[in-house]
Amino acid sequence: MAKSLFEERLNSGKFLVTTEIGPPKGTDISEMVHHIELLKDKVDAINVTDHQSSVMRFPSLGGCLLVREHGGEPVFQMTTRDRNRLALQADLLLAYSRGIRNVLCLTGDSVDVGDHKEAKPVFDLDSVQLLRMIRIMESGKDLAGNDLKGAPEFCIGASVHPATDSIEPQLIKFDKKVEAGAQFFQTQGVYDLDCLRRFMQYASQFNVKILAGIIVLASARMAQYMNDNVPGIVVPQAVIDELAGAEKGKGLQKGIEIAVRLMKMIKDENLCHGVHIMAVGREGIVPDILEAAGLEVSVHV
Amino acid sequence: MIVAEQKPLEEIRRLIAPYEKVLILGCGTCMTVCGAGGEREGSLLHSALRVAQTRGGDEAHNFLEYTVKRQCDFEFLDMLEDRVGEVDAILSLGCGIGVQVIAERFPDIPVLPGVNTSFMGASKELGVWDERCAACGECRLDETGGICPITRCVKGILNGPCAGSKSGKCEVSSDIDCAWVLIYERLERLGQLEKMRRYYPPRNFRTIPRPRRIVSKADIDLGGNDG
Amino acid sequence: MYSAGSDAFKSDHSDGVKKTSFDHTLMPPCQDACPLHMEIREYVDLIAQGRVMEALQVIRDGNPFPSICAHVCTAPCETACRRGQVDNPVAIRALKRFAVEFGGDRMIQLEAETRHEERTAIVGSGPAGLSAAYYLRRLGYPVTIFEAYSEPGGMLRVGIPKYRLPGEILDTEVQRLIQMGVEIRTNTPVVSLDLLFDMGYKAVFVTVGAHQGLRLGIEGEESPGVVDGATFLREVNLGFKPSIGERIAVVGGGNVAIDAARTALRLGAREVRILYRRSREEMPADPAEIEQAIEEGVEILFLATPTKIAGEDRQLGLTCIRMELGEPDASGRRRPTPIQGSEFNMGIDTVITAIGQAPQIPGDFRLRIGRGSTIQVDPITLTTNRVGVFAGGDAITGPASVVQALATGREAASRIDDYLQHRYPLVSKDEKEALAGELLPKTIEMIRKLTRFEPLTVSPEARVKEFELVELVYDWESAINEARRCLRCGMGAEILFQDKCATCLTCLRVCPYHVPYLDDSGTIQIPADQCQACGICVAECPAKAIVLRKPQDRRQIDEELDHVLKSAAQAKSKPLIIGFSCQYGLYGTGALASLWRGAKAGIWIVPVLCVAKIETEHILQAFEMGAEGVFIAGCGQEQCAREDTAFWALQRMEKAKKVLAQIGLEPQRLQAFNLYADGEDPATALDKFTERIGEFYLASAIKQEVKT
Repeated sequence: MAKSLFEERLNSGKFLVTTEIGPPKGTDISEMVHHIELLKDKVDAINVTDHQSSVMRFPSLGGCLLVREHGGEPVFQMTTRDRNRLALQADLLLAYSRGIRNVLCLTGDSVDVGDHKEAKPVFDLDSVQLLRMIRIMESGKDLAGNDLKGAPEFCIGASVHPATDSIEPQLIKFDKKVEAGAQFFQTQGVYDLDCLRRFMQYASQFNVKILAGIIVLASARMAQYMNDNVPGIVVPQAVIDELAGAEKGKGLQKGIEIAVRLMKMIKDENLCHGVHIMAVGREGIVPDILEAAGLEVSVHV
Repeated sequence: MIVAEQKPLEEIRRLIAPYEKVLILGCGTCMTVCGAGGEREGSLLHSALRVAQTRGGDEAHNFLEYTVKRQCDFEFLDMLEDRVGEVDAILSLGCGIGVQVIAERFPDIPVLPGVNTSFMGASKELGVWDERCAACGECRLDETGGICPITRCVKGILNGPCAGSKSGKCEVSSDIDCAWVLIYERLERLGQLEKMRRYYPPRNFRTIPRPRRIVSKADIDLGGNDG
Repeated sequence: MYSAGSDAFKSDHSDGVKKTSFDHTLMPPCQDACPLHMEIREYVDLIAQGRVMEALQVIRDGNPFPSICAHVCTAPCETACRRGQVDNPVAIRALKRFAVEFGGDRMIQLEAETRHEERTAIVGSGPAGLSAAYYLRRLGYPVTIFEAYSEPGGMLRVGIPKYRLPGEILDTEVQRLIQMGVEIRTNTPVVSLDLLFDMGYKAVFVTVGAHQGLRLGIEGEESPGVVDGATFLREVNLGFKPSIGERIAVVGGGNVAIDAARTALRLGAREVRILYRRSREEMPADPAEIEQAIEEGVEILFLATPTKIAGEDRQLGLTCIRMELGEPDASGRRRPTPIQGSEFNMGIDTVITAIGQAPQIPGDFRLRIGRGSTIQVDPITLTTNRVGVFAGGDAITGPASVVQALATGREAASRIDDYLQHRYPLVSKDEKEALAGELLPKTIEMIRKLTRFEPLTVSPEARVKEFELVELVYDWESAINEARRCLRCGMGAEILFQDKCATCLTCLRVCPYHVPYLDDSGTIQIPADQCQACGICVAECPAKAIVLRKPQDRRQIDEELDHVLKSAAQAKSKPLIIGFSCQYGLYGTGALASLWRGAKAGIWIVPVLCVAKIETEHILQAFEMGAEGVFIAGCGQEQCAREDTAFWALQRMEKAKKVLAQIGLEPQRLQAFNLYADGEDPATALDKFTERIGEFYLASAIKQEVKT
């Protein structure tokens, strides 16, 4: 019996498509709701980011509640940067009770790259410990070993970075996450498919689903900025050049073109189990991308 | 070594402003070694404050200058007994420990901190100090090839690296090495990579709650008549 | 436990050091090797600062006749000089000559008063006798010197040729002695010491020297045309012109042989050969003299010695044999042995023998004579077997050097004083520990190699025509640059306050010569025999635990700054600019002169002995006491005699700038000038700086106006 709709879809063998929504910095959630409505039936799950890049925003748990309310399938992105083990467990209890059954376990970007640089970083746990904690809770205990009055159940996933230049330590970490119980992985942005292929050669020995991360870039400058400032993003020079070569005003179009091209190749060659589209503030164009890539599906609940 | 940095001059001037007679107290151990508050720095600060008086429009102060071997033990402070009555405040160039011990020893006189105590660290090169220990209370350096993930990893995680590691450097700054890449390389060199493959459960932060105390003497009851 | 100063407000630990006058310097090898123990390191340093008259004063304190030593001393100090372990020894004798000539030695008048009744007699007016006379006179004794020859001076007069020691110099010294009240009776040989006592002298110093030439011991030595070297030189020096012909052979390898050969050239000889039975390495004559002789055209035949002299007057036939070196003999030098069948002949007009001299003591003196015909004396008290009779100089040692004779003379004077005052003659202990130890390779590596400035000489062609001085005196720049090569042995840094030392390793890390090290017990040691006395660690030590062994160096900047600030305050010149200027470099380039000339009113120079000693506090103190601008003028990294000094001075200046910025004083108020830099003339640069300071001063004055 699958723990969540998303898990069902994971196990169905279909080519998976997920995307993410970044909540607003404030109480005005109208745009976020609009995007949820736009996307809920077009993708297998919607991630809601948790203070992405350490910028303070409307909480991901709140965003996931909204996705649920509007009939979509949420993935609760949970970082360990801001909350200690008590708060993390509490949030998980709440999430489960509200039907949020998918959790992406992340360590989280460091406080220094965000907009509240003087905040106290928590990091009571790291991503691996968070994965294990969830499994412990599923067994009816909390992290301190006390019995739970009602245990949750989750489909859990983590992130991985196949394009890193320190691949061995990354693979050790990947192994630990698999051992800890991760069922699916959404990767950091991928551009080099050979790199993805090599990673899949290693990862395919495990019974986990890998969704390749696809970042939609809008200009060479944006690509360079993300390269320099956003943790985990590596945009190759060839891609930056291709963006730079686009006609004036057509940067986004070129970015979409690149994203679509990548997605098509991944799907056609069956490189991995799916894609995770990160539109970085342009969630509105995701449907167009899906259409252009031939990935438009109507997802039935 | 405890490493500190002397406070900016303007801050010190502000701190001493209400006091006419100030004792500038240097420390002869850690603060001398890290160059923040030894005898020479105390002397220099004294000169700077005098320049501030004659040229910067500060109110008039009278300064005493003195350096004790350590500020963190009462016995070293006992020799200040006579001088303390002559001054209105003590500007301590010792680390935070020293400032507090002085305050405890001489509760009737204000004690001002002259340095910002920063960390425990080592110096490979003159004038360059790197943080190395966070005093976590449960040292696990054998597991990580002698490289502390709590101090040297910005996030302090035990199952590293995180996704922000790039070209062996930390996401926060390319001046900082990714501790987990260093740990990987060291363990590989030692042939002990299996230590990195192990799962490390969440840290016991109970060692940290402050203030901590260590008691190294045994409790001996010599009893009554016969022992 | 630290001690605070007694002054309640501003207690400065270095005050403790200021108020004492101890001197922890070690005696450098040059001073130790000098028979007179002259303070060579001190006067060389004064020359390096351009303080020539003070250098001369130090020299005169230790040497009765600096002008003589300046020309002819064998300089055992140079042999011992540790600079020789780096590249070449410091040219100490030439520097002494520079100080003598430029410091106005000739002007110095001497006086002495008689404080004792006891009359003293000195037999022989050689260097030992003259020295004894000088010191005895200064002690207040009536002194009479008896000299057998027509002119006083002993070997100085009759043995050393005038192209090495001009007669006028000797005359000047003798005149000074006479001015002091010494009586000199020439043409008065002493035949009996009893006579002297009968005449009323209470003590006699016998110092008749060693003038008797040793014989070769070969056939034909009595022939006319064979003359003893010392005799030959004496005749020439006393004004005679012996006719020696054109072809000369000199036998021997010491300074007398070389002197005789070169003198022969000057008398017109065309072929002058020296025959020496050993090789060049063993030749005892001064290497510079040997070189000059060869330049002048003297031919030296090594490993050759005469076996027979035959023939008539003017047509001598010299038979010589080649030698080879065998096992070492008693003196440690390899014994020469004749090579069978290697005889050769040469036609010679005059043979001059110079294989050594011995004293000739009249039997009537009734003194016990020992090996080499020398007078036997107690080595400590210089007394002979006769009460009241002392002896010294070549008469007791055999031929030795001038400086040794001067030292004996000085020693004899205090022994005679002891004797006459009925004091127990105590052995004088050296107060200072002598520096021992060779420079380590790692230290030598970091010392910049600087060529020794050899004093210039007259060209060989010009030299042989006459008996004028061969060697020329240094000019200012050469002297100062040569003096700066001194390593300042034994006056470096020491950890004076071991309890303050936190073993922070700063001294170990900043030392350009890698001198401080951690010993087995984890304590920092600064070995005195390696330290180059640059002063960097002294100024950098965070605990102020290190000082320089010489008190003068420790105090110098503080005192000079205090003095300048007081004077400037009195003069009320505005805006006030203080310049810390290195003394070593300033004189060398004459840049100090141009700085002073160009300096406008309001600039006060604080002379420092190397910018490495300027501490940030000195700069701040200048500003505290009213300076509007401060500059540091130094030699720059390339020219400074020590390494890294400019770097550290600049570091401290940057620190001062940071502090001043927080008080609202602009960083441009501080500037460093490199006195040797290409391009800008320091005077011009200083003018620009002064202008800018003037602007700052005006601006702040206006601000004050506006405020009020």
